[in-house]
Amino acid sequence: MVPWALLLCSLPLSAFSKPTKTLGVSPNLLSKYVPIAKTNTWKCLDGSKEIPWDFVNDDSCDCPDGSDEPGTSACPNNKFYCQNEGHIGEFISSSRVNDGLCETQCCDGSDEQPGVCPNLCKEIGEEYRKKRDAELKLQRAGAKVRSGYIAFAHQEKKRLQGEVERLAEEIKAKEKEVDRLQDIAERTESLSQAALEHKKESPLYKSLIIHNNALKSLQREHKKHLEREKALGQILDALRTGYNPNYQDMAVLEAVRGWEELAKLPHINDVGKDSEAEKPSENESDEEEEEALEEGMWDAGQLEHQLDGLISTDYLSLLLEHEEYINGPQEGSILFELAAYLPDSFIPVYEDVKDTLVSWLQKFGIVRGDDGAADSSRAQQAYNDAKNELDRMRTELDTKENDIKEIFNINGFGAKGEWKKLDGTCLEKDTGDYTYEVCLFNEVKQKPNNGGTTFSLGKFESWNPSSDVQPGQPEFYQKQVYKHGTRCWNGPERNVVLRLSCGVENALLTVQELEKCEYEITGTSPALCLPPEEDKKNGNGKKKDEL
Amino acid sequence: MRSWSILGTVALLLVSDSWAFKAHDFKTCSQSGFCRRGRALSARAKEAKSSWVSPYRIQEDSINISPSQAVFTAAVKGLYEEINFGLEVRIQDDGVVRVRMDEVGGLRKRYDETASWALIAEPVISEDIKWAKSKGATRATYGQKKEFEVIVKHQPLQISLLRNGKEQIVLNGDGLLHMEHFRNKVEPPTSTEEPEPVEGESAEEEAGTQKVLEVKTRPTAWFEGETEDALFEETFSSWTDSKPKGPESLSLDINFPNHGTVYGIPQHATRLALPSTAGEDPTFSDPYRLYNSDVFEYLASSPVSLYGSIPLMHAHSVDSTVAVFHVVGSETWIDVSHASDKSTQTHWISESGILDTFLLPGPTAEDVFKQYARLTGAPVLPAAWSLGYHQCRWNYVSSDDVRTVQKRFDEEDMPVDVFWLDIEYAEDHEYFMWKEKNFPDPVEMTNDVAANGRKMVVIVDPHLKRDDNYPAFKQASELGILVKPKSGEGEYEGWCWPGSSSWTDFFNPASWDWWKGIFKPEGNPDKWTWTKSTTDIHIWNDMNEPSVFNGPEITMPKDNIHYGGWEHRDVHNINGMLYSNLTYQAVAERTNPPMRPFVLTRAFFAGSQRFGAMWTGDNLGTWEHMAVGIKMVLANGLGGLSFAGSDVGGFFGNPEPEMLVRWYQVGAFAPFFRAHAHIDTKRREPFLLDEPYKSIVKDILRLRYTLLPVWYTAFRETTVTGMPILRPQFIMFPKDKAGFDIDDQYYIGSTGLLVKPVTEKGATEAKVYLAEDEVYYDYLTNQAYRGAAKGKEITVPAALHQLPLFLRGGSILATRERPRRASSLMKRDPFTLKIALSKSGSARGELYLDDGESYNHMQGDLIWREFSAKEHGKHGLRISSADLAAAKPDEAVDGVALKTYNPANEFVKSVADVRVEKIVVLGLRSKPRSVKVQGGGELVYEYTPGVAASDKKGGSPSVLEIKDPRVLIKEDWSIVID
Repeated sequence: MVPWALLLCSLPLSAFSKPTKTLGVSPNLLSKYVPIAKTNTWKCLDGSKEIPWDFVNDDSCDCPDGSDEPGTSACPNNKFYCQNEGHIGEFISSSRVNDGLCETQCCDGSDEQPGVCPNLCKEIGEEYRKKRDAELKLQRAGAKVRSGYIAFAHQEKKRLQGEVERLAEEIKAKEKEVDRLQDIAERTESLSQAALEHKKESPLYKSLIIHNNALKSLQREHKKHLEREKALGQILDALRTGYNPNYQDMAVLEAVRGWEELAKLPHINDVGKDSEAEKPSENESDEEEEEALEEGMWDAGQLEHQLDGLISTDYLSLLLEHEEYINGPQEGSILFELAAYLPDSFIPVYEDVKDTLVSWLQKFGIVRGDDGAADSSRAQQAYNDAKNELDRMRTELDTKENDIKEIFNINGFGAKGEWKKLDGTCLEKDTGDYTYEVCLFNEVKQKPNNGGTTFSLGKFESWNPSSDVQPGQPEFYQKQVYKHGTRCWNGPERNVVLRLSCGVENALLTVQELEKCEYEITGTSPALCLPPEEDKKNGNGKKKDEL
Repeated sequence: MRSWSILGTVALLLVSDSWAFKAHDFKTCSQSGFCRRGRALSARAKEAKSSWVSPYRIQEDSINISPSQAVFTAAVKGLYEEINFGLEVRIQDDGVVRVRMDEVGGLRKRYDETASWALIAEPVISEDIKWAKSKGATRATYGQKKEFEVIVKHQPLQISLLRNGKEQIVLNGDGLLHMEHFRNKVEPPTSTEEPEPVEGESAEEEAGTQKVLEVKTRPTAWFEGETEDALFEETFSSWTDSKPKGPESLSLDINFPNHGTVYGIPQHATRLALPSTAGEDPTFSDPYRLYNSDVFEYLASSPVSLYGSIPLMHAHSVDSTVAVFHVVGSETWIDVSHASDKSTQTHWISESGILDTFLLPGPTAEDVFKQYARLTGAPVLPAAWSLGYHQCRWNYVSSDDVRTVQKRFDEEDMPVDVFWLDIEYAEDHEYFMWKEKNFPDPVEMTNDVAANGRKMVVIVDPHLKRDDNYPAFKQASELGILVKPKSGEGEYEGWCWPGSSSWTDFFNPASWDWWKGIFKPEGNPDKWTWTKSTTDIHIWNDMNEPSVFNGPEITMPKDNIHYGGWEHRDVHNINGMLYSNLTYQAVAERTNPPMRPFVLTRAFFAGSQRFGAMWTGDNLGTWEHMAVGIKMVLANGLGGLSFAGSDVGGFFGNPEPEMLVRWYQVGAFAPFFRAHAHIDTKRREPFLLDEPYKSIVKDILRLRYTLLPVWYTAFRETTVTGMPILRPQFIMFPKDKAGFDIDDQYYIGSTGLLVKPVTEKGATEAKVYLAEDEVYYDYLTNQAYRGAAKGKEITVPAALHQLPLFLRGGSILATRERPRRASSLMKRDPFTLKIALSKSGSARGELYLDDGESYNHMQGDLIWREFSAKEHGKHGLRISSADLAAAKPDEAVDGVALKTYNPANEFVKSVADVRVEKIVVLGLRSKPRSVKVQGGGELVYEYTPGVAASDKKGGSPSVLEIKDPRVLIKEDWSIVID
């Protein structure tokens, strides 16, 4: 375009003390701030324009890239470099030059007119070094713990590898056993099928099956109702604790009051924290008042824990036992002993039933009865159990092999496995109203200190998901994300961002709900303490962050 | 188990009930007894047509005309022969006509103190204007050319203001004047034939089925109707208003026979040119309502009342602008209709109070604003920092949160002046009392913010939690200054954020010193004061309608009792203004000498402009609300409240990035610029945005900061003239009919900036209306557009990063092009002058500066300059700076008429070295041969050829950039371009 009319004149230089030509220039650019000797001009760093050398740092913006004003605020979006002799040089935004404030990043005071800001670099530098030393000390201490974590990861790997080997052996053995049992089952089955079918026509057996189906249906319906009740309770709990006491909505208030009465909760004050201490005792006394049970009736606890066992009773086996029982005692027979024992365990806990049957059936492999149908069923059962066990072992093997891989996965427990030690470690922070529990790599919970519902704030989702950060970088492990916690009333699911930094302890420092249902928890862990030497090696200009 | 299922149903209902405007919380006209009666009266008049004659008439023998002043008084009779009224008509020295009427010798007294709260001083009555009584009417003629005439017709009573023989404003022209006299409740005679309506039947049904046969028995029935409708006790929803004083409503028709467009009566979410509510095919079925209300999620197009009320209506035509200021503090409904497109009829129905109406004759909009400012005061000059960007959220949760937010703004180099704290800073919502767990160090936190040249604003709401450990409540309770329930005894208890609360009665003078004392940070040995604060904390007054969650229409019962025994119904609309008024004084008086306070209020009334800023309340994050917010801010400006804005981003909801960017563009061009968000929303501080949105918003913030001198200069003007800062088309071009309905573009003061914010999703271009044959320069690209004398719509690029912002040819802007962290850090920065030459090759502009926070400007510590660019020689241009303060000291600042101006005052000394660093001239005809400071040397410049301002076409204009002329702001100088 049209060049500057280079009519230099005697500009009225008022009170301005003219900055030196290289004020604000960073060391690596210093060599560029010299005039072209012949013309006494200067080229903007982007090469777009040639201006008189006098225009450099004259507090008036000439270059499109702002490079002619490294030491003033004349060009927006510029960077000003403070030498900070005795400390560490630092860039500040040009918008902070000559604004009347002494920038902490500019301890030499070069960002303001001479005389405005004192040079504090000596003091600040010293303070910084002290602080840095303290940090290094802490980092070293943390790094020691961390190396312990790494060692643990290696041990853990070894241990797991050992288990994998053992499991592999066991699996081999089990495979053989399964083969054998399968063979037996197949052979017995062909003999006894017809006999078994006949026995199944027994009215008693048929009736039992009907009872069983009815029980199953009842249980299904019961569970459905329980879940519904629980969900409703949660909705109302959330309403009770989460409602904004007055969106001018008296209907909400009524609903809360009604719920409190029904659920025997104390009345929640609108600010939400008074008087919850009364709650627990009330609840207990209340349960005592429930109706007395008839003889032999199950209480709620039994229903919850033992019904499954009852329903999954192997009726076929029972049928066979029944027959043996009816057919009278056969002295000296092991079967008799078992049959005599079984009726007593008619209502045992599920595990007992299972164990008994298993042990009984194991023996069956040795002692053959004279009943073909029973034989067949038992042989089949033995085979099934062995096969299930084999599957379980294979899954376990897979899991363990996977665990071994995870230990040194950069997306998992870190390249060095330094986080493995903390897998499932739970940290707590009491903030007065609530205790926050972070179980690393698992779940974050908010537990009210004065009674009420514990909410999940989220399950472990990932390390720092930011696309700016690569897995394996130190920043990657400074942030964990927990997602899909309990849904807020009329709101989103609760989520947590856990921000961690190097510290000798595994501890939580602060908990804040920065926006509704979005929690930010800060904490420390030695797992983040790189040995200072290693840190330097990584040294991607970290110096600045630490100032 | 059954109770379970019932509860389940309740929960499900709650979930499905979406949060939205709850129409059932607020009355329609038909649910309000006096409004129903008022509209029924209007309906009867319409039906009667020409046979309808107002029963109100002047007793001719009672007429008294003041010999020394333009005061006319007379006795008036109305519907009831035994009831007497007194009428007074005064003409003020500025030509404004005040009409007052009250019942004389009535059973009780009507509330007559509204004007004492709204007016800044008792208006001066003219001593020159004389009334002349003639048969059937009394008249007064005045004005320079005797162009104004006031006619008081005696029978029926009718008062008209005329200009050049044309009726401007007519009172009772339709005969709807009715001042219901006080009466005792008459128990209806027990009759077996006419059973009383069953208790519980809704009032509407009563109104609908009142064709009773007793026509002959009530001589007043032709006027008042055949049955008494809700004269005493009245029930709405679950609340019963005891109405112990019985009926006392006031109905008045105010007509503008020669004005087809009316504006004003804020606050309503609707178009600036008020749509009709009555007559043929009205836009709204209900009248506009003025009854300060906390409306949850208000609608974007509705006549329902909102948070504030200003009973001032402007009427406009190509011939003149006039206004009516109807000084009533009680609930008021206003019907608007048009018999033709050239006239407007309005009907004002108020629940109580005397008739006290000012007729503002204009005849120009400037005159009307001046006349209104003389009545209620001009807007106060705000602290300069309060024109910066305000960052608010419900809630920044801790002092560390505040520090982090500040840090993030600084990291992104985004300017911001103020961080705000909403109600959650306060323990149990006891204002002043910090939640210590989260804000353990409020003073240090504030100091950390102030260390960067910034301020804090903290909310203080008017409800006081009833807790004896809460000093504010305890002190107020002990002083006996709380609002009383209808019994007149004890303390009214209502429900608000803290739960059970009471409200200070600021009508009680005993509350004033108490409230002012409570804000003192330095403490007081005798009583508790807010020592955990600093003078860098300013105040936000919310919920001052007052909002009462369990009250009728979310406010106080009307039969509550205030100081002097007045009912809340009498003072409801004034209540919120008193609160922000007292807070304003309290904050100012924390220091000696006082410093300019910043107080944001939600509720307001006529006069609130003297106490700071308002915002449009709890808007929604929708495009509709973004658009209507602009109209509401414009309407508030017409009502005197120029320092106004809407919450950027919308209070409710999570705006998508595009919407947020557009909203920042809207906010940056409103006088009050604050982003705010509801507690349930995601965080949306501008530094959280992704690119490109983040950079766009950063540029908008910086643009605002470069223009701060322009805003401040515009504020100076409004504090002196009362002219709104945001000026819609009809003010700028009063004769251009095409502009009367335009309310989506506006000018900023007399700076020449024209802005048309984009409020549509996905827009890439915008249409802007240019009403004159003048050149307009795109502010950001310099592109020139040429308007046309008959009006012209231009299409301009308006992609997301673009903003239709124009500088009108003939304007000079003084900006500071070095946006910094906070406005206070820009005080010593140099200025850039942008000169947009008009088609005739000239331009002018102003700059006003003072220290921005003290009251020293009232002693003359200020700079007020005029920049002009005029033709010089044949093709040259002379740019000069002249001292306006020295030329017109009496017009420099509001409130005092400076006799002289000292150009070497303290403020000038403090900015002695502040210079002009750059001058940009748009639209020169040709490349200069020389650019010189007069009496100085040649200047360095760069010239880009292009379209000249005098060319009759648009395009890329010629641009002259003068490098650093080093001329000082404080001095007169000239720069000559040859």
